[in-house]
Amino acid sequence: MPGPLEGYRVVELAEGVGGPYCGSALGDAGADVVKIERPEGDRARGWGSRTKGDLGAAFQSVNRSTRSIALDPDTNEGAAVVKKLIAGADIVIADAGFTRHPDLQPDALMAAHPQLIYVQISEFGEHGPQGNQPPYGELVAQLASEATTSLGVIGESAVRLGNDNASMYAGIFATQAICAALLARDQQGGQRIDVSLFGAMLFMRSTLWVALSNPDEWWGFHLDSYVKPPEYGYRCSDGAVLFSLQGVGPERRDDVYQTFEMEWVRADPLFDLLNQDGGGVGRYSHVVRPLWERAFSKFTMDEVITKTRALGGQAWPKNSYEMLVNSDQVQYLKLIQPVETPFGPIDQMIPPWEFADTPAAIQRPAPRLGEHAAEVLAEAGYSTAEVAALRSRGVLAS
Amino acid sequence: MATGPLSGIRVFDLTLAMVGPWASMQLGAMGADVIHVEQPEQRVGAFQVPPTINGTSIGYISWNMNKRGFTLDLKSPQGRANAYELIKTCDVFLMNMRPDVAGRLGVDYETVSQINPGIVYCTVTGWGHTGPMRDLPGADGQVQYFTGGAAANGAEGEDTEIYRHSTQFDATTGNYACMSILMGLVGRKKTGKGQRVDISMLRATTAMQTPRIAEYLMSKQNPARLGNQAQATAPDRAFMCADRRDLGVSATNEEEWQALCKALGRLEFIEDPRFATNTDRVDHRQELSDALSPIFASMPLDYWVLELNRAGVPNGRLMRWDEIRHHEQVLDNNYIAPVDTREWGRVWTSPGPWHFSKTPTEWSATPTIGEHNAEIVAEIEAHRAAGSSTPQRGA
Repeated sequence: MPGPLEGYRVVELAEGVGGPYCGSALGDAGADVVKIERPEGDRARGWGSRTKGDLGAAFQSVNRSTRSIALDPDTNEGAAVVKKLIAGADIVIADAGFTRHPDLQPDALMAAHPQLIYVQISEFGEHGPQGNQPPYGELVAQLASEATTSLGVIGESAVRLGNDNASMYAGIFATQAICAALLARDQQGGQRIDVSLFGAMLFMRSTLWVALSNPDEWWGFHLDSYVKPPEYGYRCSDGAVLFSLQGVGPERRDDVYQTFEMEWVRADPLFDLLNQDGGGVGRYSHVVRPLWERAFSKFTMDEVITKTRALGGQAWPKNSYEMLVNSDQVQYLKLIQPVETPFGPIDQMIPPWEFADTPAAIQRPAPRLGEHAAEVLAEAGYSTAEVAALRSRGVLAS
Repeated sequence: MATGPLSGIRVFDLTLAMVGPWASMQLGAMGADVIHVEQPEQRVGAFQVPPTINGTSIGYISWNMNKRGFTLDLKSPQGRANAYELIKTCDVFLMNMRPDVAGRLGVDYETVSQINPGIVYCTVTGWGHTGPMRDLPGADGQVQYFTGGAAANGAEGEDTEIYRHSTQFDATTGNYACMSILMGLVGRKKTGKGQRVDISMLRATTAMQTPRIAEYLMSKQNPARLGNQAQATAPDRAFMCADRRDLGVSATNEEEWQALCKALGRLEFIEDPRFATNTDRVDHRQELSDALSPIFASMPLDYWVLELNRAGVPNGRLMRWDEIRHHEQVLDNNYIAPVDTREWGRVWTSPGPWHFSKTPTEWSATPTIGEHNAEIVAEIEAHRAAGSSTPQRGA
C-alpha cells in the first residue's frame, strides 16, 4: 500500500547527510524523489565502509527510496534540465550554495512556480553574517551549539557526538516543514523555508536554555551532567550499565547493600553521601560511583540489571550496535530488513513510523550515480533522441 | 488567528513528561490550536523534576509552550463526555503513555476514530506495542543506553560515553512524532480519512542514528572511539590552535580538501598519494592528523577562522551560552529569544528550527495548568449546543 505522501514529486539538490535524509524520508513515505547529483556525485558516496562493491553504507542509508540523475547544474544546459524537472515538482530540497546558476536560485524558481515549496538547508540559517552557507559542517554545528560540552572531559579537547545529530535533525525538521507547508499550500500557495544545522542543534538544546534563564539555579539530573566527568556507565564484570535508584525508597537501602554484597561500604568515609545518592542521578553520583563499581565488579551486567530491577530501580545495558541489533526487541519487531542492491542484499533499518492504513516502506535502494537519468527525463517529456543528445554533449554526466 | 502553516488544525494533546509535549509544542508553533489536556493528578511527577522555577520543573515550562492549558478528569463521566465532544472538533489526537492506558481512559483508537474518523491518532511508546520489552519504561537515559546512543561517542583510547544532555532522545522521538502526524495530515488531504500512526522511542532514536547503524550493519564493526574525529571523513575534526582553543575543520569532499591545503600553504599535500581521496585520508587518518596538527598549533584560532572562511572550508569553534545568546548570527535568525510567562517570569528558549517565508511560526508562553479551562469548556458547550458533527478541516 502506498505511503501517505504518494503523488508528491520532489527534486533534491542536496548532498552529505541532512538534505538527503529529508529526501529519503519523503521517499520512504511514498513521494517520488529525484536526486540531482553533480558530475562527481554526492560527496557522501565516498564516505564510510565499503564491504559490498562500491557501496558506502552511510550514503546507502540516507539516499534510499530516491532516483538519481547526474549533471552540472552550473551550466546553462544542465540548469535547463533541472528547471524542467522542478516545473513538474511540488517540492525542492536544496543545500545552500549547491548551484550558483541564476535560474536555479530560489527567488527565480518561486517567481516561475508560485505553488513550489522550496526548502533550503544551510549551516547557520538564512540571515546574518554567516547566512546561506552550505550545510556541510556537522562538527561545526556541534561546537557552535556547545553540544560538545556534554561529552568528554572539561578543559580537554572536544569530543563530538559520533552520530550526525545536527545534520539528521536538520533533515527531520526540513521534512516536518515540507509537510506543514503542503497543508498550508491550498490557501497560501508555495513558499520558502530555511532549516539550518546550527538552528536545529540550538532548538534541540532548548531545555538547557530555559534552565539557564535562572543561571544560579539550573541544576538538575538531566542538566547538571553538563559539568560532570564523562558518563561511561557503571562498570560491571563484563560491560557497563545505566544504574539508578530513583524510585527506591530510603528504607530499602539495607536491601540494596545486601543484594550487592557491599556491607564493607558502611565503613567508607563516603557512606553518608552514598546513602543519599540516587545512583547515577544525584549531583554527587560521580563522587560515589567508585563504591558502586567496586561492588558491581563481582557481577555481570545481566546480574546487576536483574538485581537492580528487583529492588525497584532502573538498570539498562550500555549496548553497542552489535548488542542492539541482536537484541530480542529489535529482532522481534524486525526493525532491520534486507534491501536488494546490484551487489546483493544489504541490511537497513526500516522507517521509524508505523502508519496503519498507508504503511511507509523502503521503496528502493540508494541509486547509482545518474542511474535514472533516462527514465526521469522521459517522464519529464524528453524524447529518446533528446536524451541521447544531452548525453553526447556531456550535459548528462553518466 | 495563528499565522503558521497549521492554522486551523486542532490537537487533542494528551501528553506528559517530555516526548509527547515536545511534539505538540512544535505543532503549536506552526499554528495548530493545541489543547494540552492534563488530568488533575498530573501536578506531581515530571511537573516537579528539578531544576524548577516557582516550584515548576523547567522541563514542564520548556516543553509546553504554544498550547492552551485544559484540565479534565477522563475517569469521570462528565470529563469523558467533554473529552469526546472536544475530540469531534480535533484533527489530531496525540498521547504518550504506556500501551493499554488509552483503553483504560476510554480514548483507544477504536473509540476515538468512531467519534471522529478524520482524526490522525498518534501514540508514542518507549519500545512499541508488541514484543518482549513492550511494558518496560522508556525515557531518555534508558533509551540512550539500550539503542547504542553511546556506541559512536568517546575520546580516543577511552570507553564509549553517553551524551550527558539527557533530553535529546526524548526530543528526537518527539520530532518524529510531529513529523509522522504531519505526514498523516497530508495523507488525509487525499483520502479524507485519518489513521493511526505509532511511534516508539526505540524506532525513532535508532532512525536518528541511521548512518552509523548502517555502517555497523555493512561492516559488522562497532564504531571506533575517535574523539572529535568523524568516522567516515577526514580531515573532519577539531585542531588545537596556538591559543589552546579547538577549531572544528570539516573538509568532506575533494574541493574542500584542496582549498584547505592551499589555505594552510601546503600544496604538496594535494599531490600526496596517502591523502588523494577521502578514502585514502580516512585510511591514513593518523598520518594526516600528524601532518596537520602542528600547522594549526602554530597560529591562534582567529587567524585560522579568517583563513578558512576565505578559502571556503567549513570551520567553527566552540561557543558557550553566554556567547550564543548574544551572537549576531543567533539574533538575526531568531534562534534564541526571551519568552515572558505569567507564572515563571522571563525565560530564554529557542523558538523553533524552521523559517517559513509566508506562514511564520509564533512562539507563546507556557500556560498555567488549566489556564484556559473556562474558554475551552465554553467552546465545548457551544459545539454541543450546535449539535454539529465533525467539521471537515483541511480535507
